[in-house]
Amino acid sequence: MVQPLSGQAIYVVLLRELKRYWRAKARVISSVAQSIFFLAIFGMGLGGFIGGFSGINYLSYMAPGVIGMGLLFGSVFTGVSVIFDRQFGFMKEMLVAPVSRTSIILGKIFGGAMTATIQGIILLVVAGIMGAFTPSMMFVAGALASVGGMLLITAGFVGLGVAIGSKLNDFHAFQLLSTFVMWPMFMLSGVFFPIDVAPLPLQIAMMCDPMFYGVELLRWCLLGTGSTLLGPLGWLISLAIIIAFDTLMVGLGTLLFSRAQI
Amino acid sequence: MLATLLNPTNGTATVNGHDILAEPDAVRRSIGYVFQDTTLDLELTGKENLDFHGRLYDLDRKTRQQRTKELLELVKLTDRADSLVKTYSGGMKRRLEIARGLLHHPAVLFLDEPTLGLDTQTRRSIWDHILHLNQEKNVTVILTTHYTEEADFLCRRILIIDFGKIVALDTPENLKAKLEGDIVTLMFKQSTAIEKLHPILEKQKWIRQIKVVNSKNNNATMSRMIQKMQIMSSNFGMGAQIPHINTETINVNNSKEVNRNLKNETPSENLEFKGDKNSKCLNLLVDNGGHRIPEIVKLADEANAFLESVELHKPTLDDVFLSVTGRNIREEEGNIVDMMRRHRIIQQARGRQVRG
Repeated sequence: MVQPLSGQAIYVVLLRELKRYWRAKARVISSVAQSIFFLAIFGMGLGGFIGGFSGINYLSYMAPGVIGMGLLFGSVFTGVSVIFDRQFGFMKEMLVAPVSRTSIILGKIFGGAMTATIQGIILLVVAGIMGAFTPSMMFVAGALASVGGMLLITAGFVGLGVAIGSKLNDFHAFQLLSTFVMWPMFMLSGVFFPIDVAPLPLQIAMMCDPMFYGVELLRWCLLGTGSTLLGPLGWLISLAIIIAFDTLMVGLGTLLFSRAQI
Repeated sequence: MLATLLNPTNGTATVNGHDILAEPDAVRRSIGYVFQDTTLDLELTGKENLDFHGRLYDLDRKTRQQRTKELLELVKLTDRADSLVKTYSGGMKRRLEIARGLLHHPAVLFLDEPTLGLDTQTRRSIWDHILHLNQEKNVTVILTTHYTEEADFLCRRILIIDFGKIVALDTPENLKAKLEGDIVTLMFKQSTAIEKLHPILEKQKWIRQIKVVNSKNNNATMSRMIQKMQIMSSNFGMGAQIPHINTETINVNNSKEVNRNLKNETPSENLEFKGDKNSKCLNLLVDNGGHRIPEIVKLADEANAFLESVELHKPTLDDVFLSVTGRNIREEEGNIVDMMRRHRIIQQARGRQVRG
């Protein structure tokens, strides 16, 4: 049963995600505030003690990672929210409509990527106001590039969320997901410390974390530098891995979602 | 399955002339579906919900706008079109969902428990809408419900499913006719009247069963209830607790035949004559009760048994349902999601009504 993609359907799902995001102001505020706490407390507290890494002060070092955190959590949870849509809400409505599941899920992924990116942009501005970045023409160009990067990073993670959400049928698994998938991914992504200072086993674990490359890419965009381990072409390596991750996850999410029963 | 959400394990079906396996898209275009739990997006306005639906069905902007306007008027939600759906009452949500189900002009509309957890006025108004759709707009409506009176009021044909098997399919009238007989309750001024009339009634072939009931339990509904209780208690092996209800049955015709329709297996000792001098009532099980009343009254007159009142109790769909499905309370396997879902639907329906 192969059904053609429907532009209208993708657009509907995407528009719905955006409208919902826009109206759920409490959610936006709380997730932005969470990131601000990280920046303010760790950035200033720990920063005062550590100073920085290779000439970059700690607040600036952390900022791309904290933006990455917003992207990660926002996108995975949007993806996993298909579980709620499937059980209760609007998703059923769409499943009886004459549109393919692929269209629905692509809309969900694009929509999720866009809302998470909007969140990332808000964090970017907030971090800028807190003095994490030195304003220059180079920075403006880098910041624009980072928005593209954010879209790429989030698409893969929404796909991952959809894949998980299609397999889970139980809300209790949410907590497990958060503890065993999201937090390790976040902490291994090099938000708090550079991969170069970590012991080897940790370095290997970090290299296996897709979010590590996301943060690496953002750091290249916003600070113009990255880890010594990946070298001067670190941004390219990260970009390639993220695109591969996107392809894999969007494919997997679509596949698992299409197969899932209601 | 007919909505193409599930695949049949075996066989196939057609909806509006389209095969559900070969042409699922054509089927989906022909149907509207209103789910049991709300599938509206609560964070969107009524109008947006309809508009999104129209887009999913590939309607162009002009058609969408025009039909949205028409349907909002039909379900009387025009003034709330731009409010978020989460501020709607349970009945308003239902009406909006029905409107949405109609937006793409389906030939068949599926309604899954359209009035679950709604108050009487709202239920009435939804019933009116459904009848209106069926009669004026020629939409075939298929609805599932737990409320037998809803099925009785709305449906031309009723299908009863018990544990996944079809146990009955017919018009409500025919289903009720299968219960064989109405109950006519005669109330007398004096209990002596019964002694006079009883032998006469016994001779009438068309009376299938006569029961002398205590005046406390004098109405027919009660009598049906007693029948049900006896049946239930015999199923649970607790027949011994029943005798105090004080019923007396005298079978006029072949007792097996009379009891067949109710599968009454109550041990006979429960039905033994309890000889109550104060009994002032007779319950008669007759076919076509309405037509027999004049005859009964005439017989009573001739026997000088003075009637105080006569009541007629027609079998309801409830009785039909119980007789075809058996009386044990269903204990199907449920899971936590189903429980949460049902709880949520009822909560939502009620909660919103309070706020208005």
